[in-house]
Amino acid sequence: MTVFRLLWRHRALIAVLVRRDLDARYRASVLGFFWSLLNPLLLLAVYAIVFTYIFSPRFPGGDPYPLFLFSGLLPWLFFSSAVLDGSGTLVDNGPLLSKVMCPPELFPAVTVVSHLVHHLLALPILLLAMAVSAAAGLQAFPWTFPLALVALVPWILTTGGAVFAISVLSVHYRDMRDLVGHLLNLLFFSSPIIYSLEGLQVPVMLHRVLTLNPLTSLVTIYRDAAFAGQVSPPQTWLAALAVGVAAWWLGTLVFAAFRETVVEAV
Amino acid sequence: MRGSVRFSDVGKVFRWRGPRARHETLKGALFQRGSKRRGAVSAEHVALDGIELEISPGEAVAVVGPNGSGKSTLLKLAGGILKPTTGAVEVNGRVTALIELGAGFHPEITGRENVLINGMLLGLRRSEIEARMQEIVDFADIGSFIDQPVKIYSSGMYVRLGFAVAVTAEPDVLLIDEVLAVGDEAFTRRCLDRLARMRGRGVTMVLVSHDLDLVSSFADRAVYLERGRIVAEGAADAVVARYRSDAAGDIERDLEPQQVREAAAERRWGNGDVEIADVQLQVGETSTRLVPAGSPCQLRIRYTVHRPVEDFVFGIAWHGPDGTQVSGHNTDLAGFVPRRLEGTGEVCCIYDSLQLAPGKYLIDVAVHARDGLAYDYWCDALELQVTSEVEWPGVWSPPHRWQSNGPLWAEKAEESGPDAENR
Repeated sequence: MTVFRLLWRHRALIAVLVRRDLDARYRASVLGFFWSLLNPLLLLAVYAIVFTYIFSPRFPGGDPYPLFLFSGLLPWLFFSSAVLDGSGTLVDNGPLLSKVMCPPELFPAVTVVSHLVHHLLALPILLLAMAVSAAAGLQAFPWTFPLALVALVPWILTTGGAVFAISVLSVHYRDMRDLVGHLLNLLFFSSPIIYSLEGLQVPVMLHRVLTLNPLTSLVTIYRDAAFAGQVSPPQTWLAALAVGVAAWWLGTLVFAAFRETVVEAV
Repeated sequence: MRGSVRFSDVGKVFRWRGPRARHETLKGALFQRGSKRRGAVSAEHVALDGIELEISPGEAVAVVGPNGSGKSTLLKLAGGILKPTTGAVEVNGRVTALIELGAGFHPEITGRENVLINGMLLGLRRSEIEARMQEIVDFADIGSFIDQPVKIYSSGMYVRLGFAVAVTAEPDVLLIDEVLAVGDEAFTRRCLDRLARMRGRGVTMVLVSHDLDLVSSFADRAVYLERGRIVAEGAADAVVARYRSDAAGDIERDLEPQQVREAAAERRWGNGDVEIADVQLQVGETSTRLVPAGSPCQLRIRYTVHRPVEDFVFGIAWHGPDGTQVSGHNTDLAGFVPRRLEGTGEVCCIYDSLQLAPGKYLIDVAVHARDGLAYDYWCDALELQVTSEVEWPGVWSPPHRWQSNGPLWAEKAEESGPDAENR
C-alpha cells in the first residue's frame, strides 16, 4: 500500500520517465511510434500464415488458431518483456539512483507502465483482427472484448510484483538476468498460451500440475473475453485476482527487503 | 532549522560476501549462508567511523582528505543517497547533490526532456521547470542544442547543463563533489559566481574538493578526513594548512580529532590597547569570502579594548594579491570624531555595491590613533574572492551601459553585454 502511495505521489515523474523510455526507444527510427502498432501486426501476420498454411493445430475452442494464439500471446508478451526489462531497470538507471537520488521504486513501475502502454497500443490490432475474422465468418465476434481491459488488472498486478522482485534481485545477484530468461521460457510453455487445457492430451498428473500454474487463470480470463466471447466463471476471476494480489504483495516485500542496499550494489 | 545538517556518531560500513566483491552471486547467497554462520568469508570496508558533525544553516563547510578517506561517502549520506550503518544523519530542507553533473541524462533524448526529468527528480514541479527553462538554457549557454539528443553534446555542454539544472532547484543544502574541477575556466568562473550568489542567499554548502585554494576561499570551516575518521576540524585555512603538511608527510599524526587554531603567522602589529577580535565580510546574512561582483556587502570589525583610548580611527585597506592599492577608507576621513573606545563592540563598513572586478583581494584592517600609532594593525586580515560570470581586466567595475548610433548588432550581443553582467 505504501508503495502505491509513493508511486502516486510521483505520478508526474513516472509519466515523464515512461515518455522518456518510449521516446528513447523509437528515437532515430523512421517509423517511430508506429512500431508499437506495426510490431503486433507483423507478429500476427506471421502466425496467420504459418498456422494456416504450414501446419494448423486443431482442438476444441482453438479456432481460428492464429487468433487464439495471438490473444493468449499479447498479455504474455506484456508480462514477459516487462520482466526481462525489469531485470536491468535498476542497473541501467544506476546513475540516477546514486548521483541524483530518487526512490528506487520508480524504475520498476516505469518499466511496467511503458510495457502496458505498448500492450494498449496493440489492443486495437487484436480487435481489428477479431472483426475481420468475424466478417469472414471464421468465428463469432467476441462482444465481451472490453472485459479484456478488466482482465488486465490482475495481469498488471502480477507483472508489477514480478518486476519489483526481479529488478531488485538482479541488482544483488547478477545471475538473475540469465536465470530469468529460462524461467520465463518454462512458464511460457507451462501456461495455456499455445494450447488450451481442454484440448490437451497428457497424463492426468501433468494436467494437474499445469492447472496449478498461477498464470493459467490470468490467460483464461483474458482470452475468454478477447477471443472466445464468453465471461469466465467467477472462481477463475477470483483466482486471477488472488494471483495478482499475492504477486504484488510478495514482489513489493522482496523489494523492501533489499531496498536500502540497492544504491551500494548498483 | 531549514538548511542544517547533523551527523551524530555516524558510521558507514560497506559489506560484500565472498571474493567476488561487488557482484554477489546467487550461488554465493545460497551456499555461503552456512559458512557465514561459521563466521567466515565476509569482507567489510569501514568507510566512515564515528563522525560527529554539525553544520548550521548558511554555513559553507569543506571536506578535505586523501582519496578513499570517505569524503564522497559523507556527502552521499548527507544527500540521503546512502543510509548510515550506525548513528543518524539529519538534514533539514531541500537537498541537492552536485555529485556528477549530468549523471542522470539519458543520451537518446533531448536536453530539454532531460532537464525536465532531472528537475523533477530534484523535486521541482513540471511547471516550475518549464518557467525556468530559458534561464537554464542561458546559463548552460547551449542555445539550440537544447532540442538535440544529449548524446551529441560536447562534454562541456553536458556538464554545464547538469549544473544549470541542479542549481535551479533552489536547495536549502547544496552538496558539491569536485564538480568545479570539470569544465573549462569560463565554466568554473560562472559556477563559482552562481555558488557565491547562492551563499549570499543563505544556502548551506558542503564541498568536497582537492582544490585547496578553492577550499580556503570558499569555506568557513573545513573537516579533514582520513581513513573514515575526522582528523582535524576548524577554520578552513588552518585545516588546509594541516592537510597540506600531512600530505607532504612531515608531520606525525595523531588520530585523535583536534581543533586546529588559526596559525598566527600573519603580519600584525600594534601596542595591544585595542584588539581586533574578528573581521568578517557579509553578503546578505551570510559571512563569506566569495562576493559576487556588484553585490551589496558589509565588512564587520569586532573589537575588544584592553585599555580605553580616546584617540582612535578604524581603517580598511583593499589591495590586490600583487600589492596593488585598490582602495582605502577610514572613520577619520569619513568625518567621525573619536571620543572614547572601551569594552567590546563592532564597527561595520557598508558597501551598497562592491564595484570590483573579479579576482582575489586582500584586506588590511586597523585601529590606530590619528597620528598613526597602531593599536592593532592587521595585514591581510581577510582574503576575498570577487566572482562574476565573465572576466574583465582591471580592478574597477563601475555599473555602466552602452549606447550606440550607427553600428548594427546581433541581438544576443546587446543582452549579454557587460551591463547585463553587472547587476
